[in-house]
Amino acid sequence: MIAIENARIRRALKIIIPFAAIPFTVLLGGTVFSARSYAFVSLAVAALSVALFISGFEKKQTGARRLVIVTVLIALACAGRFIPLIKPVASIVIISGIYLGGEAGFLTGAFSALISDFYFGQGPWTPFQMLAWGLVGLFAGLSSGVLKKSRAALLVYGALAGAAYSAIMDVWTVLWYNGAFDIKLYIAALGTAAPYTVSYAASNVIFLWVLARPFGQKLERMHIKYGI
Amino acid sequence: MALLEIENLTFTYNAAHTNALENISFSVGRGEFVCVCGPTGSGKTTLIRLLKREISPAGSYSGRILFDGQDIRQIDERTAAAKIGYVCQKPEQQIVCDKVWHELAFGLENLGLPNEAIRRRVSEMACYFGMEDMFDKRTDELSGGQKQLLNLASVMIMQPDVLLLDEPTAQLDPIAAAEFISTVHRLKTELSLTVIMIEHRLEDALPLSDKVLALENGRLKLFGPARAAAAELAVSPAFRDALPSALRLWGRFDIKSEPPFTVGEGRAFIESSFSNRVRALTREAYSHSDAPALEFKNVYFRYDRNGADALKNLSFTVYEGEIFCILGGNGSGKSTCLSAASALVKPYAGQIRVFGKKLKDYKNQTLYRNCLSLLPQDAQTLFLHNTLREELDGVDTQDLPFDLTPYYSQHPYDLSGGQQQLAALAKVLDTKPRLLLLDEPTKGLDARAKHEFVRIIKALRSHGVSVVCVTHDVELACLMADRCAMFFRGEAVSCAPAAGFFADSSFYTTAISRMTRGYYEGVSTLDEAERICRLNVK
Amino acid sequence: MQGLAFYNPIAAAVYFICAAGVAMFTMNPLLLALSCAGALSFDIALRGLRGRQGRLPLFILFAVMALINPLTHHNGATVLFVMNDNPVTLEAFIYGLNASAMIIGVLFWFRSFSRIMTSDRLLYLFGRLSPKAALILSMALRYVPLFGRQAKRINSAQKALGLYKDDNAIDALRGGLHVFSALVTWALENGITTADSMSARGYGVSRRTSYAPFRFGRADACLTLLCVLLAGAVCAGLASGALAFRYYPRIVSAPLSPLACVSYAAYACLAALPTILEIGESLKWRCLKSKT
Repeated sequence: MIAIENARIRRALKIIIPFAAIPFTVLLGGTVFSARSYAFVSLAVAALSVALFISGFEKKQTGARRLVIVTVLIALACAGRFIPLIKPVASIVIISGIYLGGEAGFLTGAFSALISDFYFGQGPWTPFQMLAWGLVGLFAGLSSGVLKKSRAALLVYGALAGAAYSAIMDVWTVLWYNGAFDIKLYIAALGTAAPYTVSYAASNVIFLWVLARPFGQKLERMHIKYGI
Repeated sequence: MALLEIENLTFTYNAAHTNALENISFSVGRGEFVCVCGPTGSGKTTLIRLLKREISPAGSYSGRILFDGQDIRQIDERTAAAKIGYVCQKPEQQIVCDKVWHELAFGLENLGLPNEAIRRRVSEMACYFGMEDMFDKRTDELSGGQKQLLNLASVMIMQPDVLLLDEPTAQLDPIAAAEFISTVHRLKTELSLTVIMIEHRLEDALPLSDKVLALENGRLKLFGPARAAAAELAVSPAFRDALPSALRLWGRFDIKSEPPFTVGEGRAFIESSFSNRVRALTREAYSHSDAPALEFKNVYFRYDRNGADALKNLSFTVYEGEIFCILGGNGSGKSTCLSAASALVKPYAGQIRVFGKKLKDYKNQTLYRNCLSLLPQDAQTLFLHNTLREELDGVDTQDLPFDLTPYYSQHPYDLSGGQQQLAALAKVLDTKPRLLLLDEPTKGLDARAKHEFVRIIKALRSHGVSVVCVTHDVELACLMADRCAMFFRGEAVSCAPAAGFFADSSFYTTAISRMTRGYYEGVSTLDEAERICRLNVK
Repeated sequence: MQGLAFYNPIAAAVYFICAAGVAMFTMNPLLLALSCAGALSFDIALRGLRGRQGRLPLFILFAVMALINPLTHHNGATVLFVMNDNPVTLEAFIYGLNASAMIIGVLFWFRSFSRIMTSDRLLYLFGRLSPKAALILSMALRYVPLFGRQAKRINSAQKALGLYKDDNAIDALRGGLHVFSALVTWALENGITTADSMSARGYGVSRRTSYAPFRFGRADACLTLLCVLLAGAVCAGLASGALAFRYYPRIVSAPLSPLACVSYAAYACLAALPTILEIGESLKWRCLKSKT
C-alpha cells in the first residue's frame, strides 16, 4: 500500500499539494504544453476546482440520510439520461440545489456527470461536465429563495442553465480542438450544437414545470418526517 | 450477569398521546435466542429499535436499557455500532454498496479500520458464510435470500454480541427463510451470539428459541422459556394464528401434554392422544363451471433470445368463479405466467385466451377495463400520490368488502404492510375486473392480515370474480384455493382440486398434511385436523 | 509479463495520464502519430480486430474534423485552391489533420481507459482521494440499474391497472411522467431504510477508510516509475523547444536535435507499452499451455 502512515507527513502533504498544484499547473501550461496552454490550463482548473469542492465535502460531517437522499437524486439524474430526446438531468440538479442547498446541488451535478459518463463514455470533457452541472446546482442553491417562490423565475433559470451548459461545453470543444479560443470556431460550434442547446433548455423547462412541485413536496415530506 | 437488561421501559412517540411501550422489563443472557411476537402495532419494532441507539425512533422514554451493565445512552459510539447488530425485513433496501465484497467491508470502513485488517475480516466472513462464489458479483444480481444472508454477514463482520432481527424472513420464500433462520441458529450455537428476533411466521423460529417475548398493545404480555410461553400463547386469540400448526392443533384441545412445536412432535401428539378409527373425512367433490376465464395453450416464452425458456409448453385452464392457486419454487415461471396473462410480456409461441377471446384481440387497452387486473408483488408500485385520499380519488369504494376510510389522510407509504396491500387491492378492483391476478399477495403480512385477505378474496369470488393467485405459501393456497397447480421450470406439472392436490403431494404440502400422513387420509387444514381428531378421541 | 489490467489502478491511471496527457496538449505531428498508433494498437489488442463496438464512427469523426479547419481558417501561405472566394491553404489542412489526430488519439486512449478502469478500480482511485466520494459512487452505481428495473416494474403495474387509456403519444408521455414521479417517491422512501442500515453499521462514527482488494506491489512501483521517467523525457523535449512545430504562416519544424530524438523514442516506448504488455501476456499463456 502507498497509504502514508505517518500522520505528520500526511498533514504536511495536505497543505503543500493545493499550494503547489496551481503554480505547477501554470508552469506546465506555460512551458511544456505551450502550444495548447489554454486547453491544458482550463482542463486542469476544472479538475482542480471540482477536487477542491469534494475535499471540502469530505471534511464535513454528513448524516447518513442526507447522503442517501443526495445519492438517490444523483442516480435518478443518471437514470434520466437514458430517456431519449428530453433529459431531466439538469432539472434534477436544480431541484436538488433548491431544496437541499448549494453544496448538495453541486455534488448532484458533478457526480451525475461523472457517473452517467460511465454509461455514455468518459473523456476529457468529464471534468467540464462535472463543473458545468455542478455550478448549475450551486447557483440554484444560492438563489433558492427566489426560485422556490416564483415558478416563472424557476423556468427562466432552467432555460438559462440549459443554454449556459451548452455554451460552456462548447468553449471546451473549441479550446481542445484549436488550442486557443477562436471566436469563429466557437460560433460554428454553437451553431452545430444549437439543436442540443434547444433540447437542453426545453427539457429543463418541461421537467421543472412538471416535476418541481411534486418533487418539492416529496422532499418536504422527507424533511418533516425524517428530519433531512 | 445478563447481557441486556431492560427496566421499566416506557416510550412515547413525538406528537403521540398514548405510550407506544409501557413499563417493559426483561433481561436476556449471553447466547440466548429470544423470539419476539405480537400482532401488528403491538410495539415490537419500536422495542427492538430502541435497543439499537443509532436508529432509535424519535420520542421520549423513561426507564433504563443496560447493555453489559452500562446504560445504552452512555456507551461510546464505536461499541454501540459494532456490538449491537441489526437486520431489518427489507433485503434489497438495506444493501448500500454495488459489489458484494464492498458491502461486507462497509461497516469496517466506517470504523476506520486499515486496509489489511479489513481484507482479513472480509475473507474470513466470506468463508464462514460460503460466499466465495458471489464475492465479486454485483449486489443486485443476488436473489432475495442471498441478499438477506449478505446483510447478515455484513453485520456479523463487525463482531457483535447481540443481533437484533426485525422480521428478517418476511420477504423471503420458505426455502430461503428456513436457510436464513438455520444460519442464525448456527451463529448462536457456534459463537454464543445473543439473538433477539421478531417473527410473525413462527413455524421455523419457535423450535430454535430459548425464550419467547410476547407484546400486546405496547405491554409485555409474557416473557419466559419457549415451551411454557407457547402453551400460554396457543390459547390466546391474538397470538395463536401465528404459531406453528402443531401447536395450534394442540391449543384446540384441552390435553395436558408437552406443547408440540415441529411436525414430528405434532405427529407424536396426535398418535398419543387420538386413535385412527375414522381415517378420512367425507367431503364434497369440487365441480367448476364450464366457462373458461383464462386459458393457456402450449405457451412458450423467454426473456432474451439466448436465454432459457421461462415458460415452456405451458397449458392450463382457469374456470369462471373459481380461485386458482399456482404454487412453485423460485424461477418456476409463476410470476412470468401472470405477466403473460396480462399482456405485459409476449410469448413467442402458443395462445392465451381471456374469457374465450385471444389476447391480441383486446385492442386499445380494453384488456384492462372491466376485464382483467393484476395486483403486483410490490404494492408500492401502484401508488402515485401523497395521500391515500388522492390515491383512491374516483375509486368506487362502496362495494369493497373492506374499509380504508380511517387512513385516508395518511401517506400510502406510512400505512402498515397489510393496509398497503388493501389500498393496492382497492385500486386494482377499481377497473371492475372479472379476472383478478394476484402475485404473492400475502408476502410480508402477519397472520391476522393474511386471514383478512383470504376472507376478502373469498367475498370477491362470491361476487363472481375469478381469481388466479401465485404464491410460495402452501398454507395460504390450502386456505383459499378451489384448484391448485404446481409449476416447475416453466411447466404446469400437476393441476387438481385443492383437497386432492395437497393430499397427493408429499413435500409441497401443508404442515398438517405432513403431520397426519399415513395416520389419517386427505387431511390438510387445521380445521379438518381438528374435526377428525374430535371423531377419534380416545 | 501481464496486461495493464493486472497492475494496481494507481499505476494504470498514472500510465493513462502520462500517455494521453502528452497527446492531449501537443501539436507535434510525430508525437500525435505515435499517440494514434499506440492507442489504436492497444485498442486492437484489447478488443481484437473486430471490436464489438465499431471503430468506424471514430474514423468518420476524424475525417469530418480534419476538414473543418481548412474550411473555416484561411491563414497560411500555400493556397491549394479557392472555394467560395475563400482560399483553402495547405497549412490549415495539415493543422486540421493534426488537430483531429490529437482528438481521435485521445478518444481511443479513453476507450481503452474505460475498458481497463472498471468501476471497482475507479472506486479504489476515488477512495484514495476521498472515501466519502467513493461511497457515493458505489451507492449510485448500485442505484442506477436498480431504478431502471423499478421504473419498468412500476410501468407494467400501472399499465395493467389502466394508467394508459389509449395507445397514443400524449398518453404515453403523461404516463411516463407519472411513473417517474412514483419512482422518485419509492426511491426516497426506501432510501431511509438504506440510511438506517448505514447508521446501524456505524456510518459517521469516525473518519471512513476506503477498502479495496488491490495491493501496490513492486511491479506497480516499477511501472509507475517507468511512466514518469518516459513522460519526463518527453516533457523535457517539449519544454526546451526541441520539439517545437509551427503551422502558420508556413510549416516550420525545429531541427532534429539529440534531445528531440530521446523525446520521440521515449514517447514511442510509452505509447507502445500497453500493447507490448498485452501481447507479452498472451504469449506467456500460450507458452504455459503448450508445456502442460
